[in-house]
Amino acid sequence: MNMAMSVSNTGERRSQQNTRPACNTTSFQKKSRSKLVSIPGTRPSVQNGQLIVSTGVTSLDYVIGGGLAVGTLLLVEEDKYDSYSRMLLKYFLAEGVVCGHHVFLGSARDPPDEIMQDLPAPILDDIPSNAVNMGQVTACDSEDQGSMKIAWRYQNLPKVQTALASSSRFGHYYDASKTMARELREAVKCSTFFLPHELPAESHAEPSPISEAYRLLLRSIQELIRQEGFDGTAPQKSRNILRIGLHSLGSPLWADDICCEEKPTQASSLTSFLYGLRALLRSSLCTCMVTVPSHLIQNRAIMDRVTRLCDTAIALESFRGSERETNPLYKDYHGLLHVKQTPHLNCLVCEAPDTKDLAFKLKRKQFSIEENGFDDYNDDNLVGRTLGPCSLPAWEELTAALKGIFYNMAHRC
Amino acid sequence: MLLDVIQGTENGGFVIIQDTVECCGRQLLQSCIAAALHREEDVHVLAFEVCEEDVRLRLDRKCEQRLCVHNGYTDPLGWSEHPLFTVHQFISEELNVHLSGSEESKPATLVIDSLSWILRHHPPAVVCQRLQELRRGGALRRVVALLHCDLHQQGIVGSLCHLATAVISVVPGDRGQQAVAKTTRRTKSGKVTHEEEYFSVKEDLTVTVESRPSHHGRPQTEEDEREVDPAANLTFNLRLSEGEKEAKEKLSLPFVFSAEKKSALLQPRPGSGRIVYDPDASDDFDPEDPDDDLAV
Repeated sequence: MNMAMSVSNTGERRSQQNTRPACNTTSFQKKSRSKLVSIPGTRPSVQNGQLIVSTGVTSLDYVIGGGLAVGTLLLVEEDKYDSYSRMLLKYFLAEGVVCGHHVFLGSARDPPDEIMQDLPAPILDDIPSNAVNMGQVTACDSEDQGSMKIAWRYQNLPKVQTALASSSRFGHYYDASKTMARELREAVKCSTFFLPHELPAESHAEPSPISEAYRLLLRSIQELIRQEGFDGTAPQKSRNILRIGLHSLGSPLWADDICCEEKPTQASSLTSFLYGLRALLRSSLCTCMVTVPSHLIQNRAIMDRVTRLCDTAIALESFRGSERETNPLYKDYHGLLHVKQTPHLNCLVCEAPDTKDLAFKLKRKQFSIEENGFDDYNDDNLVGRTLGPCSLPAWEELTAALKGIFYNMAHRC
Repeated sequence: MLLDVIQGTENGGFVIIQDTVECCGRQLLQSCIAAALHREEDVHVLAFEVCEEDVRLRLDRKCEQRLCVHNGYTDPLGWSEHPLFTVHQFISEELNVHLSGSEESKPATLVIDSLSWILRHHPPAVVCQRLQELRRGGALRRVVALLHCDLHQQGIVGSLCHLATAVISVVPGDRGQQAVAKTTRRTKSGKVTHEEEYFSVKEDLTVTVESRPSHHGRPQTEEDEREVDPAANLTFNLRLSEGEKEAKEKLSLPFVFSAEKKSALLQPRPGSGRIVYDPDASDDFDPEDPDDDLAV
C-alpha cells in the first residue's frame, strides 16, 4: 500500500492544494472539497495525482515527470569522477533542508557532516522595494524603505517570500558557489550513517544474501522510520517527509566487490538491499536518491538488475577527461544525461520527455538540462532549448492549475 | 602538472602511479620520496618489492634519518618467527602504531611499493577501506602508491583510481628514451584536470618535464562563465551622463499624488469608493464657479 496514496484523498485527487501563504497577493481561494493536510514541499502531480517532491533541480523534475514521487527511489549513475552526481545529491539534500523535511544521509567515503556542510545556498526571491529597483536612491531621498515612489499603491502589500520558513514553492534554485548557512541547516533534523563508524571491528560473517554493511544501513533507516513515525504512526498534523540520500552505493568502500570483480562473491548484496529499501519506501512517507558508480561495475547484468529495482533511473556522463571535451558539438555543455527508466505509478503510461538526447550544464545558479539540437541554418551553433518551464516558478504553478481545472471539468461531465 | 603532484602541495591526497611491464614507474616513486624528504617531512616506505638498500639507493644522505623503511621484502608473509613487516600488518592496527611512533606529531607521507603486492593477498574492498581509513586517520599527510595495472582486472584498477586524488600513468613514449606521464588530478571541489607530458628522472631523482606530445590536443581548461557585456562596443550611447540623470530625477511623474490622497487610497475602505480631488498644477479651480460656465 502506498503511503502517499492514503494521504491524498482517493476521490478528489485532482484538486489542487492551496499551498499559498495566508497573506496573498490575490484574494482568490480555491474551495478544496477535502480536508487534506498538505506537507510543505510536496504537491500532487498533475499527471497521476501522486504526491511528489522536488529533487532540488527544476530541470530534472521536468525530465522525470514533474518531480520525485513520495515512496519511490531515484537512481543516479555517477559520472566518471563523481563530480556532478555529488552535486545532484547535494541539491537533493538542500531541497530537503529548505522545505523542512527530515534528512538522512548515508555515506562510506566522506563523513556525512562534510557533505552537509557543503550544501549549496538557496536563492531567495525577495522583491526589493521599487525605489531601489529604479535606481533612484539618491541622497535627497528622504523616504523610508517601505514607501515606494511609483508603485506606491502596492507598498502595503506584503513582500513575496522573503522568509524561507513560509517557502511553499515547489522547487528552488541554488547558488553553487555559496554554501548554505549553518542556521538553516540546523533548523532541520538530520540523521547520518557513516559506515566506518558503524561497522563493528569483528564481523560475524554469517552467510546471508545481504552484506553486513547494507544490513546495518537498512536497519538504521528502518529504525528511523519507526521512531519518527514516517510509516503513518505520526499524527496527521505533524506529518513530514523523510529524504534519504545514499552516496556511492556499490563502491568498494561499502565492502562490496561488484566494482572489482566480474564474478563477485556477493553479487546479490546490493540488489537485495535495494529490494528491502524499496519495500520500506513504499510503506512510508519517504523518498530516496541513490548514487551508484556504474562505470566501475564490471558485470552489466548487475547494473541492469539495479536499474530495474529502482523506480526512476538517470545516468550522467561527463565530458571531462574524455575526447568529447574538445568536440565542438558539445562545447556548451558539461555532459550528457540519459534517462534510463521512469516509473509507472498506479497508471499505465509513464511520462517521459520528448527527446532522449539531453545534455546538462552546471551553471552557478542552476543545473540546467537542455536538449541537444541543431540549427538548420547554421551548423556551428547549437540551439539548446532549456527543458521545463521557464525560470519563473509561477508559470509552472499556473500551468499546473490549468491542468487541474481541466481534469476537474472532465470529471464532472 | 606532474611536478605539482610530485611536490605534493595539497594535504590528504592519495596518488597512484600506474605502470606496466613496458615502462616502470618506480623511478617516479623514488623521486616522490626524494621530494618529500627535501621538504623535511617524515616518510614511511612499505617496501614489498624492493629491498631496503634499493630504496635508499640514490637518496640524499642528509635526509635519511627522516626516512623509515618497513622491510616487507625479506619475509612478507611471516614465515619466519620474527618477521620484520608482513603484508597482514598493513590491514591491522599495527601500522597505525608504526606511523604515529615519531615524537613530533607532524603528519608523514606513506609510500607503498607496491599496492599490487597487497592486492594479491587481501580482497580489494578491504584494501580500499583500509586506504581510506589511513587517509582519514590524521597521522598521514599523503599516500603515494605504485600499482602495476597489468597485473589486475580492470575493475580493481578502476576502483582504486576512483579513490585517488591524482593518478599518474606511465607509458612508453614515441621517442626512444623518454616516457610519457598522463596525469589526472581531481580536486576536492570536483574539478578534474588532465595532462600528458614527457618526463625524465635524473640521477639525483629530480624530475624534468618536457614538452607535451604534439599529437594530443591540449585539453580544454575549464573557464568560468564569462558573460559578454552586450553594452560594450556599440555605435550608440546607452549610458546616462550626470546631468541627464539629474534631469531624469527631477521629472515629475504622472500619478504622484499628495500625501492625503495617497493614504486615503492606501487604506482599505469598505463600501463605495471615495473621490479625493487633488488639483493639478494646470488646473484652474475656482470655488465660486466650479463648473466654469459663468460668464464673469
